[in-house]
Amino acid sequence: MLHLDPHNLLLQKTLAEAREAQLAGRPLTLDRIVSDFDYTTFHVSNAPEDKSMLWVSIRSKAYQTVASCGSTYQSYLKDKLEAYPGIQLSSQTEAAYDISLIVDLNKLTQEGVVYLSLLKVLVVSYPFHLAFEEFDRLSKIPVPVDEPPVLSDVLFNIKHRDNEQFFVKPSNDRVTVIFETIFEDETDKIFGKVFLQEFVDARKRNRNIQSSPQVLVSHEPPLEVQNFFNTHRQQAGSDSDQKKYITFVLFPRHFQTSELQFSTICHLALFRNYFHYHIKCSKAYMHSRMRYRVNTFVKVLNRAKLDDEDEEDAENKNGEQEHTRKTISGRKMVY
Amino acid sequence: MSQSLRPYLTAVRYSLEAALTLSNFSSQEVERHNRPEVEVPNTSAELLLQPMQIARNENDQVLIEPSVNSVRVSIKVKQADEIEQILVHKFTRFLEQRAEAFYILRRVPIKGYSISFLITNYHTETMKTNKLVDFIIEFMEEVDKEISEMKLFLNARARFVAEAYLGEFVY
Repeated sequence: MLHLDPHNLLLQKTLAEAREAQLAGRPLTLDRIVSDFDYTTFHVSNAPEDKSMLWVSIRSKAYQTVASCGSTYQSYLKDKLEAYPGIQLSSQTEAAYDISLIVDLNKLTQEGVVYLSLLKVLVVSYPFHLAFEEFDRLSKIPVPVDEPPVLSDVLFNIKHRDNEQFFVKPSNDRVTVIFETIFEDETDKIFGKVFLQEFVDARKRNRNIQSSPQVLVSHEPPLEVQNFFNTHRQQAGSDSDQKKYITFVLFPRHFQTSELQFSTICHLALFRNYFHYHIKCSKAYMHSRMRYRVNTFVKVLNRAKLDDEDEEDAENKNGEQEHTRKTISGRKMVY
Repeated sequence: MSQSLRPYLTAVRYSLEAALTLSNFSSQEVERHNRPEVEVPNTSAELLLQPMQIARNENDQVLIEPSVNSVRVSIKVKQADEIEQILVHKFTRFLEQRAEAFYILRRVPIKGYSISFLITNYHTETMKTNKLVDFIIEFMEEVDKEISEMKLFLNARARFVAEAYLGEFVY
């Protein structure tokens, strides 16, 4: 499992099961909570009066800050979701959840199921969408000669975890995405350093991926977001030595069409998970490796032990041998 | 094995063989105690022998502290950068947590060293001395190899993971 999938497999399965059961005429009774990365929770349940209708709700840490990025969030979600038959954005949300959808299982299509399982990505895609729009606007303004290019003061800040956030910054020739990540322990920090260095170098070394976004890593907040940190001083001050800033520079080729945009967003939304997941994987591998190594060391040391059983055996060889037998693991049975 | 490693290991081997002449020795201070003299605060100088320090360079050292009934061997494993530091730390801690399987392993290394062994007269009586020396030598060889392999693995994995991730952006 090298890549993490952007869609939630359990959510997808649940919805597909519900849809098939409905089509077969035996609607399921559902009340299921599904969790995902970054403290995201989904809740799938039957509508109280009608089993052919499902409520799908999502709670996400990022919702608050994403919703404050622009005023068109609700209509953006509506446009995206209601393009699929059977999905409707509910005007009232379930208690403790951020967004609720009403899904009509009779009308829901296979594509609709897949799209619903991407709900988490859809929730955070809004600032990216706004940034791409802003980029379109900026790139149409002719660049003045002899003067610095027009700078946009638009900066989207999304807090997707307790102490971590990311930024999306459009400008006239690129869109910059900056992740702030924190390493909880010393080992993660060192491993993270190795991994991040490879992210920076990968593009230079491998010719095949030269068209991928440029990656930069720094300890200090990059210039794009320095203003933000100057106004929010208190956040930058706390445990800033554990923090790293990872910058992805997206060029127009990464978001030319809406499909490209969506796949770019999918990958970027999963970057933090992917990165930390592989740090954990290497730690797990090291652990199993050390286990194996300890066993070989114990074997070497056991060679040093005096085997008094052998000596006893040699003494008992004449006469009593038929009373002593060994099992396959070397244990002795005396009777 | 590199050219400088062999004489280093040979020196450790001969010094260990010389040090591992232990006898049963009851405590002179506490009645009915029999304790490793190298580990206890000692007022009688005749029980402790001259410690030997064998160094390949400042990062690769072995300290052998012999006494009348016990020998303490401390190894400093090469740690060139912070990755190796963390790997050595993890690896030695992993071993120390399993010290009961190793009989001669000390749960805490002495200050300035990565890992320590304590061999008492009880161990030399129940185990073959030359095999014990073999074990320590093999341990020293393997630890270096293991640490550098783990480091290589980490770098290779990081490279692969980064390329796989960025490869997804190539359209």
